[in-house]
Amino acid sequence: MGTLMVIDQPPYGTWAGREALDMAFSLAAFDQPVALLFTGAGVNWLRKSQETTGIGQKSVEKNLSAALIFGVEALYADATACARYGLVPDNMVTGVAMAENSAEVIRQHSHIAFAG
Amino acid sequence: MTEIDTLHILNKAPEHPRSAECLRAIEPGDVLLLIESAVLTLATCSDLQAGITIYALAPDVLARGIAHSTAEASLVDFAAMVELTVQAQKVISW
Amino acid sequence: MTKAKSPERNNEGFLENSSDWSPEIAAIIAAEDQIDLSEKHWEIIGLLREFYKKHEMSPPSNRLFVRSVKEALGEDKGNSIYLMRLFPGTPAKTACRIAGLPRPTNCL
Repeated sequence: MGTLMVIDQPPYGTWAGREALDMAFSLAAFDQPVALLFTGAGVNWLRKSQETTGIGQKSVEKNLSAALIFGVEALYADATACARYGLVPDNMVTGVAMAENSAEVIRQHSHIAFAG
Repeated sequence: MTEIDTLHILNKAPEHPRSAECLRAIEPGDVLLLIESAVLTLATCSDLQAGITIYALAPDVLARGIAHSTAEASLVDFAAMVELTVQAQKVISW
Repeated sequence: MTKAKSPERNNEGFLENSSDWSPEIAAIIAAEDQIDLSEKHWEIIGLLREFYKKHEMSPPSNRLFVRSVKEALGEDKGNSIYLMRLFPGTPAKTACRIAGLPRPTNCL
């Protein structure tokens, strides 16, 4: 139930993902159940050790680490996309649930919105 | 200073249709420069073809936390990137 | 005594350059809102600055500010009345301004 924001865009290329994150934070602020699903190139949001000083942007890794504090219920990652990008629990941020079947995750929510 | 015949500059993630199109268009001897979201190509298991020289923009690699998976590419900074474009006879910005 | 050059601020009084921040600057900004900084204020300011270092953002709204404080210090301090008394106005905005952090993005 609740809202699922799907981020299928890579980090830093566009503002789409950040806007989705912002929306998720706003929903959480008003106690609306919300979760995030990262799929496609979007799984790269979840990689550890992003060092962004050279590109003059805030680290999405650090921004994202506030999600659970703010009350976002879950961070899901599409397992197939993670495998494609060499992402395993060891090189990913903590608190991510691997979704073997992300279609199933999508079906479990009542509102689904894609970033961008 | 070696001259480059064709330099391909790719800034699209592997999911973007233009990424596949770029990788198809590259010929042996060409140089590929990965910037922005395209540096993620290095983190995928897709095999970049042999015989091409690959560079990747270091700040973009660091931002995405994939510095350890860039064995196929030489990392360059902004100044070296400019140098590459100057050396190239032809630049294709994908 | 040398006169400290007052750092650049935006039209809402937030520091243009976060590296200009110091406890003395914080006291000056607080005084503009008639706030005399106590231990209780410093506890929240420290928490906010730590939050910013960790997450590269200020809590984007008042509600999320309250939630962040609650997460770190519990219900007694993580409630809007307590924070409103310490930082009148819009607590998130007032507190971030004094702590030398960017303006919370979703505060009016």
